[in-house]
Amino acid sequence: MNEIALTSADRFDIREYLRLEMFPHFLCPGCGHGLALRALLWAVHELGIDKDRLAVVSGIGCAGRLSAYVDANTFHVTHGRPLAFATGLKLARPDLTVIVITGDGDGLAIGGNHLIHACRRNLDLTCLLLNNEVYGMTGGQVSPTTSAERYTTTTPAGNREPTFDACKLAEGAGASFVGREATLQVPTLKNLLREAIAHKGFSFVEVISDCTEIFGRKNALGNSPEMVLRQKAGMRPDSWGNRVDRPFRPNPFPTGVFVRKELPEYRELYDAMTAAARRD
Amino acid sequence: MAEVLQIRLSGSGGQGLILAGRILAAALVSAGRRVAQSQSYEPTSRGGLSRADLVVTDDLADYPLVTALDHLVILDKPAAHASDGLLHAGSTVLCDGRKVTSAVRGPFALHRLPLWETAVRVGSPRVANIVALAALTAIGGFVPVALLREKVVGLAPARYRDLNAEAFDAGLALAAGERAARV
Amino acid sequence: MTDGLRNLQGNAACALGAIAAGCRFYAGYPITPSSEIAEWMAAELPRVEGVFIQMEDEIASMAAVVGASLGGMKAMTATSGPGFSLKQENLGYAIMVEAPCVVVDVMRGGPSTGMPTRPSQGDLMQARWGTHGDHPIVVLAPHTVAEIYTETIRAFALAERLRLPVVLLYDETLGHLVETVATEPPPPEAVVERRWAEVPREAYRPYAAGEDLIPAMARPGDGYRAHTTGLTHDERGFPTQEPAQVAALLDRLLGKLDRHRPLIERVETVEAADADVLIVAVGITARAARAAVRELRRTGVKAGLFRPVTLWPFPEGRFRRQAESARAILVPEMNAGQLVLEIERLAPDGVRVRGLPRYDGEPVAPDAIVAAARELVG
Repeated sequence: MNEIALTSADRFDIREYLRLEMFPHFLCPGCGHGLALRALLWAVHELGIDKDRLAVVSGIGCAGRLSAYVDANTFHVTHGRPLAFATGLKLARPDLTVIVITGDGDGLAIGGNHLIHACRRNLDLTCLLLNNEVYGMTGGQVSPTTSAERYTTTTPAGNREPTFDACKLAEGAGASFVGREATLQVPTLKNLLREAIAHKGFSFVEVISDCTEIFGRKNALGNSPEMVLRQKAGMRPDSWGNRVDRPFRPNPFPTGVFVRKELPEYRELYDAMTAAARRD
Repeated sequence: MAEVLQIRLSGSGGQGLILAGRILAAALVSAGRRVAQSQSYEPTSRGGLSRADLVVTDDLADYPLVTALDHLVILDKPAAHASDGLLHAGSTVLCDGRKVTSAVRGPFALHRLPLWETAVRVGSPRVANIVALAALTAIGGFVPVALLREKVVGLAPARYRDLNAEAFDAGLALAAGERAARV
Repeated sequence: MTDGLRNLQGNAACALGAIAAGCRFYAGYPITPSSEIAEWMAAELPRVEGVFIQMEDEIASMAAVVGASLGGMKAMTATSGPGFSLKQENLGYAIMVEAPCVVVDVMRGGPSTGMPTRPSQGDLMQARWGTHGDHPIVVLAPHTVAEIYTETIRAFALAERLRLPVVLLYDETLGHLVETVATEPPPPEAVVERRWAEVPREAYRPYAAGEDLIPAMARPGDGYRAHTTGLTHDERGFPTQEPAQVAALLDRLLGKLDRHRPLIERVETVEAADADVLIVAVGITARAARAAVRELRRTGVKAGLFRPVTLWPFPEGRFRRQAESARAILVPEMNAGQLVLEIERLAPDGVRVRGLPRYDGEPVAPDAIVAAARELVG
């Protein structure tokens, strides 16, 4: 998606989308989640979505706390359930733009079942999964996306479990829009999110974030800029032909849009299928 | 409370007993009575004991489940003794003469009738439930038979309507013969 | 059928009651013996511009119900024991964020998978205390098909009025029982609509309440842009652990039940005024108790029935007053003894309390109650 020309009146001022009374925020220094939130709100701004008609639903964990900072209709729900909650909300209120923020534990472990079924149903929701490879809120336990051999508080000898590829999972489950980007490149992430939100149907975006304070420290990955550079080293963007210069990261990850297809949207389909009953 | 009537249709799974119970309940309500209907909910479509119970009252039943049967139909072997504990001197029991071979005995009125044979003669063993329903009602006299026949025709699946009507009439004929034999 | 009467199954009456109460959203997961409610809702909701969805599991269906409720729809789900266990998580969330909704538990034999097609009253305590933490909840226990219909309507009214999940609790026997009923449209006063916030945004505090302890809700899209969280929150809706604010929130949540007791409580008594033996029972067991009371009175035993239609909060005051003149209290129930615990707690000194538990998948029969009552006062 191309950059659109911005007039000064259109200029994105994140403060217009934040609950400033909630600041200072509670994220750790160097956490990538703030950048992800910035990209999201920038995309919302560019799409011209009315804050009053925006609903942000999040689960439990560091990613789950983000909804509280957004000046919109926000719902911080139970662990793993934001997609299930959002399904009810969107069905009751098709007029709202509903965006779900989840994490690798929230969305892939405890909420994994809801994720695959949301992908399959294709209700018009956008799901951001902020992947920082760890349960940060609870003190640094292993998650379904923790890279091989990384240390966490529950893998004192290193992680030996294979990791989930969230995008392949979403694709396999039938999502009509799937993409991945890192917090390293906020404008690119913003563009990806803009397309995902505008997409009719279920869109899934995995955001490679980083947890410096807990995961980074435990694995001696350096400070935030160093961790972000590791992200960069692991990236294989479409636009680069998926080349890589230095394979630092144990699990190299492609970025960009992997799935973009038009499928019948759940609510439209429901209305069409039940039209006969409604005419009775 | 006026007279309470307790009726059970029993047999084995897949015999349309639940439908027969529903038809009888509809007729009873049309006749101005109130019905509490319960049934076995085990997956019995491939055999096993199946039953439809009706507690018939003029007002809301205190207890909606059967405790002492006034009328019992036993269509098939699995049901032969399942209701023994609920029978008493005033009970009327109607059982299939061929299928229910083990002795159903007691101080109650027992009618052994060729329910299955009659159904097969009419066209299908599937309507044994309707044959039984007609015979039971004719003997028991707790609902006008014309009203029940109307419900049989109205509530049975459309493609079996004629067959059910024939089965019903054959059931009435059976009962008429039975009464004559007892006189 | 005559006079608007028809033969209706208990579970169908529940679905029709929900529609009559204005329920427009149902999310559920198949489970015996409650599935007929979902099947009826799937057929009926589109006719009234409502939405039915079968979710991937019980947890998701409860979450979707809360989502739809906060979106502005009257919403319901139905389940049985195993599913009710799974729903407790988001039931607690609904209590914390004060999302009106109705949860139906059609009880079957337990624990665990237990007996899917057999009745039980094993969830009486789970319905009260199933989700963690101190919490308010309202539980209604109808005992006829007709009452399933009217109590479902009342469940929605209470849920909306109190901003609280309301549990409708009945057993497999009643769920599958067909009875002759009239499903009249409810009178206007029986249907309660959501109270939405109308004050200017600057003046709005999402969890500030007046005398009635029930805050007006912010409808998404109306410009309030409120925050909703399962974390302990202040009046603005934002997380807090400040002890005074935590206590204020819990005082208000827990206080809803006492403040609205006259509205919530519903009791039926039969021949209770001069009863020597007072029988306390709910659901299908109360039907057996009705028959037992009739039989006992016929044979000269002064028996009466106290039936808490609103099971929780238990109608304590009315029960205590009723129990004062009794010599003994009998508590038949289809479990190992749950309701009897509450009765023992509340019974006046000197009044004998005896349980009559049964947990073999068969209902407590009238005869058993008659015999136990005779023994108690004989």
